[in-house]
Amino acid sequence: MLEKPPTNSKINSDLLRPVNKPGRGWYATVTVSGLVVLAAVVALSYQFARGLGVWGINRPVFWALDITNFVFWIGISHAGTLISAILRVTGAEWRRPVTRCAEAITVFALMIGALFPIIHLGRPWFFYWMVPYPNERGLWPNFRSPLAWDFFAIGTYLLGSIIYLYLPLIPDLALLRDKSRGRWQRLYRTLSLGWRGTQLQWDRLERAVRVMAVIIIPVAVSVHTIVSWDFAMTIRPMWHSTMFGPYFVAGAIFSGIAALILAMAVIRRVFHLEDYLRPVHFNNLGLLLLTMSMIWFYFTFGEYLTAWYGNEPGEMAVFRSKVSGVYSPFFWATICCCFVIPVVLLSFKRLRTIKGTTVASILVIVGMWFERFLIIVPTLAQPRFAFNWGSYKPTWVELTLTAGTFGYFVLLYSIFSRLFPIIAIWEYKEGLAIAPAQMEASDAGRAALATAD
Amino acid sequence: MAARIIAIFDTPLDALAASGKLREAGVPRSAITLMSSEPLHDEPFESEHKKSHIGALAIVGGFIGAACAVLLTVLTSRRVDLVTGGMPIVTPWAFGIVVFELTALGAILATLGMMIYEARLARRGASDEYDKAVSEGNVVLCVRCEDPSLQETAQAALGSNVRGSD
Repeated sequence: MLEKPPTNSKINSDLLRPVNKPGRGWYATVTVSGLVVLAAVVALSYQFARGLGVWGINRPVFWALDITNFVFWIGISHAGTLISAILRVTGAEWRRPVTRCAEAITVFALMIGALFPIIHLGRPWFFYWMVPYPNERGLWPNFRSPLAWDFFAIGTYLLGSIIYLYLPLIPDLALLRDKSRGRWQRLYRTLSLGWRGTQLQWDRLERAVRVMAVIIIPVAVSVHTIVSWDFAMTIRPMWHSTMFGPYFVAGAIFSGIAALILAMAVIRRVFHLEDYLRPVHFNNLGLLLLTMSMIWFYFTFGEYLTAWYGNEPGEMAVFRSKVSGVYSPFFWATICCCFVIPVVLLSFKRLRTIKGTTVASILVIVGMWFERFLIIVPTLAQPRFAFNWGSYKPTWVELTLTAGTFGYFVLLYSIFSRLFPIIAIWEYKEGLAIAPAQMEASDAGRAALATAD
Repeated sequence: MAARIIAIFDTPLDALAASGKLREAGVPRSAITLMSSEPLHDEPFESEHKKSHIGALAIVGGFIGAACAVLLTVLTSRRVDLVTGGMPIVTPWAFGIVVFELTALGAILATLGMMIYEARLARRGASDEYDKAVSEGNVVLCVRCEDPSLQETAQAALGSNVRGSD
């Protein structure tokens, strides 16, 4: 028997509950994440006061946790806009409660990822020197540098993702405008741009979102490809690879889906949205995660096999340090976290529950962070000439900053969910309205097929 | 000034039926506005909304973005005269990446701008004729009557659903 769909007022009250009455879980999350961010601010202030020497980086390892975090968070950003755009373009109906959770992840993950190259400058207050504008110092960006490409790619993706998050938010902002009072109402009135919900406005909104979805997919793919070229454009061992672009994109989508599942599990629990984020969403995303796990493993195997088969001394030194040397615990942890355990957990329907997919997602996130670390540090520690080899050990400043990124992400996400509905209310209602029509169409299709047989 | 009649309906079907009656009674379709908290896909005026330039302007925006990128990379690199160690200053492979990103950026900004323009958002009086019943899940039908005789016809067609007029 089919469940009775929730009424309009119940949907409004359930999905606006995080905005109106966030509950103790929300306050606890904000407090804990706020404290972690505070610790990171202290570490960052210490770094600004003392200089980059307080990090563990030294010759030859000049990129370490900061760039690991950069690559990791840019990868996580692929959770939202890309996945949401693909689901919209393919017309996946189950996407409706998922899209906004995903799109918000993109914006915040990009903001955090983009911070690291700036922090790594050592004197981040001079960041504006890199922006292309005429100045009397005679400085000009080198557009042939992959780092300059990063600036344009991340900037475009961030702006595009903010707009892609904002457009479908407008009708819900109008709803909040009608339901709130005082200064909040002023904020929502300004942001909703005078939305009335006329059929012309709905048509233009849906059209614009469709166009945006088509534009944003290649941009998202380009972003992580360009991040991979920061490495692949050098001739360092195990970096100079033509497949680094797709390898990074696959890893980014993989970690992005994991982040989305984890965020959904937390939101579901903290805001009691069990009727909206249902087992079917976790099951479908779990299947996507399983697919990406296999694709990721295929790329990893291909990358390592060609290095091993080539038996080139520079490549083999890095290869051995990862597989059986000083970095081997991280390597095997990555394989277990990103492939062995998730594949087991996600292959069986009985295990592909909310709990199962959440556990798999946590492991994937941990594993992918290790993977990013393994791509960067071992190659830098063992350049082609052995006399130049070195090692790297992170300091408390870098570890605190790394923890701070996670705290900052949770804090931003919590604040967003307090200000705006984390599930798109109008899209959910629209889904309920068109579901009976789709069922009728599929029944008619089945009947037509039966007649044809 | 045209008189406005606002009617509120519980379901989209009732509102669509009422708008059909208005059309039969001779109310021009441009005078009828339906407002709802979700899109009404089987709405009778749907075909009239099809004339949109969002897609076309996204392409134009893309071209403008690409042109800006070429100007930024090619012209400025030549003018600054970067030291490239004998390598060419203008490199299509590398500059192509910046051109691609700014093409996409141009298309994105054009889409946003055109959507706001065509949906008549962010302008003075944008939320005139609006009724908060929309956010409660009702469908609001607003009729603007230039001709006083049409006002009576519209009120008769909308019946007890009329909530106000001015």
